[in-house]
Amino acid sequence: MRGKYLLIRLTQMVLVVLAVMTIVFVVLRVATGDPARLANPPGTPEDIIAQTRERIGTDVSLGMQYVNYVWDAVRGNLGTSFRGSQSVSSAVFSALPNTLSLAGITIVISATIAVVFGALAARRPGRLLDRAVLVYAAIAQATPAFWLAVVLVLVFSVRLRWFPAIDMTGWRSFVLPVTTLVLSLSPILVRTSRQSFIETLSEDYIKAARSRGLPSWRVFAVHGVKAASLPLITIIGLQLGYLLAGAVVVEAIFNWPGIGKLILDSLASRDFPMIQGGVLVAAVVFVVINFFVDMLYAVLDPRVRVARA
Amino acid sequence: MRHVRSTGMRGWPACLAVLALVLAACSPGDTVDTTTTTSGEDDGTTTTVGETTDTTAPPDGEGDEQVVRFLMAENFWADWTPYSSTALSQKRLERQIYDYLVEFSTGDLSQPEPSLATEWTQVDDTTWEFSLRDDVVFHDGQPLTAADVKASVELASGFSGTSAYALTWAPAEVEIVDDYTVRISTEEPFAPILAELWWTPIVSAEWLQGDAADLASTPNGTGPFRLLEDSVNVKTMVPNETYWQEPPLIDVLIWEFVQDPQTRLNALLSGQAHAIDRVPPEHLETIEDEEGVELLGVTGIESVNLYVRPGRFPIWDENADFRRAVNLSFDRGPLVDNLVMGSASVAGSFLPTNTMFYQEQSPPFTASPDAARAALEAAGLPDGGPEFEIWVAEGFLPRAVPVAEAIAAQMREIGLKPTVVTSDVAGLIDDAFSETGTGAMYHLSWASAGDPNQAAAVYSSAFAWYFGDEVLDGLIAQGRTTLDSAERAAVYAELQSHMWEQAWHVPLYNSDFTLGISSDLEGVLVQPNGFRTDFYRASLNG
Repeated sequence: MRGKYLLIRLTQMVLVVLAVMTIVFVVLRVATGDPARLANPPGTPEDIIAQTRERIGTDVSLGMQYVNYVWDAVRGNLGTSFRGSQSVSSAVFSALPNTLSLAGITIVISATIAVVFGALAARRPGRLLDRAVLVYAAIAQATPAFWLAVVLVLVFSVRLRWFPAIDMTGWRSFVLPVTTLVLSLSPILVRTSRQSFIETLSEDYIKAARSRGLPSWRVFAVHGVKAASLPLITIIGLQLGYLLAGAVVVEAIFNWPGIGKLILDSLASRDFPMIQGGVLVAAVVFVVINFFVDMLYAVLDPRVRVARA
Repeated sequence: MRHVRSTGMRGWPACLAVLALVLAACSPGDTVDTTTTTSGEDDGTTTTVGETTDTTAPPDGEGDEQVVRFLMAENFWADWTPYSSTALSQKRLERQIYDYLVEFSTGDLSQPEPSLATEWTQVDDTTWEFSLRDDVVFHDGQPLTAADVKASVELASGFSGTSAYALTWAPAEVEIVDDYTVRISTEEPFAPILAELWWTPIVSAEWLQGDAADLASTPNGTGPFRLLEDSVNVKTMVPNETYWQEPPLIDVLIWEFVQDPQTRLNALLSGQAHAIDRVPPEHLETIEDEEGVELLGVTGIESVNLYVRPGRFPIWDENADFRRAVNLSFDRGPLVDNLVMGSASVAGSFLPTNTMFYQEQSPPFTASPDAARAALEAAGLPDGGPEFEIWVAEGFLPRAVPVAEAIAAQMREIGLKPTVVTSDVAGLIDDAFSETGTGAMYHLSWASAGDPNQAAAVYSSAFAWYFGDEVLDGLIAQGRTTLDSAERAAVYAELQSHMWEQAWHVPLYNSDFTLGISSDLEGVLVQPNGFRTDFYRASLNG
């Protein structure tokens, strides 16, 4: 049964990636902006434009372009950038670790904040600390990331010169973009964590543990955290897509050499291979991580395995 | 009662943290080799390995290295294939890598100076002879000879192949007199030849015959800098140690495309960039008020107009009264003063202000609703005529969308029926020049190096904005072939007057060209001619 479940999940993953590839391919072609025309000066005769289309492979039918794209991608060939002769694979895989490191550190810090804040709030629901946590979540959720990023740069880079304003140049360069992303991601995690803790702490087995005389911190840390973290894992998995998408804005503002900035810059010149390659790799990362989140969930919660079986 | 295994709960955040840190540690560094030539191994994003230079060094150049970083506003659209593009970003970049036969260091096109050519004489109306320096070598070590000039000029001018420069050149045949002397001949007299040579990089003949992929990826010039690393958005250059003049004063020059103007500003203010391109009007005051940074601006040789696409909007093509009504329907002064915040000057001609032979036209197009309505009546369109689209691109020309919306609002007040369509630059260019486009007017700019031939070429029969006005085309051709300066001035006076009268397009304003620079950066040459920005004599003195 487990083998069948894995097969179904893998099939779903392939279908999701294929759907993403198809949507990106179609949207790029439907949107205005012929890359061959952009590669030539305005007013260039149509025969020269046609030669450029032939060179970059956009002269054949859309169906054939799509088949070529998918077939090349299956073989691991993401093509060559329309701008210059640079390999898409090299550019994307150079950028990927930069985005993943940003997302990874953001997730770790956000999850830690969520567990700590959620636990503190759930200990005395409705009291001052709980309200403070909810206010934090509300303010952080209502703060636009692009605005926050600019304010952080103006204060901590331009005025105080504590951290770099742009680029990825060392650990200090992570501080501002990670802070921006953490403040965007953490509210939903804090709310989820708080709710889970509140529900978990009212469970009979928690009351039983307490009545057996176990120290309150032990009941909380061992039983509460374990159970309350399950929904957190699900939410983090789902929010990964948001993180990868949200990183586009943050990467643009901080000139972060990640996949988001690569895609955004490529969009300006309709560099189809670079955009498709970047989105494809981001989609694969997303589904693979979600797959592992699902697997982790099943490992952590036997009921999930039973239900699937 | 155990629901979960505690090891799993402790493990996953730790794994993620370790993964993140490992990824961060494994991310590409910001170091470049400064010892080898540009033809190193290409991993798809950069070239060369070896001795390293920290390209992220702070602007005060800690240590002895002087690393200058310039953040560009325009995408690097083109590759390095010579003469394949008129993209301004590429032309500006190429000036760091290549040399030219002549120089106009003051920007005054009546004052040519030697560069790769030591002297020149006009043999007859169609022939010029140039003597070349004999001590110049290309970045690959090959000496510059007359053969290189022949290959370069013949290709650029469209004589021996396809060239984007042919729009403003005349096909030119080059005769090699000896290794260091050439004669350039055109079929007809070609007045702007020196101005064109100023913007025609001299490329190695051997290189031009090489592999197309190499040409596209690796420039081989004789200029003060050579390309060290080339990624999609970052061009890293180092001094050409064999340069025929004094070598550059800085050790590394980085040109990088950064799309967001706020990010460029942040980088300048925080000291992570030394110069930023095209400062938008809303950032001027910030830079003026800040210590350690300053503005470097010139009035640009760039016309910003509403260019009308022939054939899309028949009433425009056919009816001069309708064109007049549109031109009188809105006020340009407040657009410049309020929306563009003074970073431009109202267009007084279809040639930009700093163009040679510029002549302000009279009367200016000022808002006159009554006159505009009268013109609509005269056009037989008292209801304002058909609907039409004004296309405008976000993110390039300053305040473009508010400008277009303000114009459209004023047009509507006299009964015209414009719709503003907002796009990005790529979408706008595609709609303007493809057969399936739907727009009638496009908010665009055209920059030149200062010669009226370049500025007017966009209105000629060789370009998409041509309305079949044979008088105009004839005047443009006459301006090219008239050698006598006074006669040429008269031709361009007539041309400007004719264009103003016909008003095939809607003149708006001439953009200023303003850089933000770090105060310790000295010696950057900024000229309005083609937005020239040269770092050859730049140095950091912080």
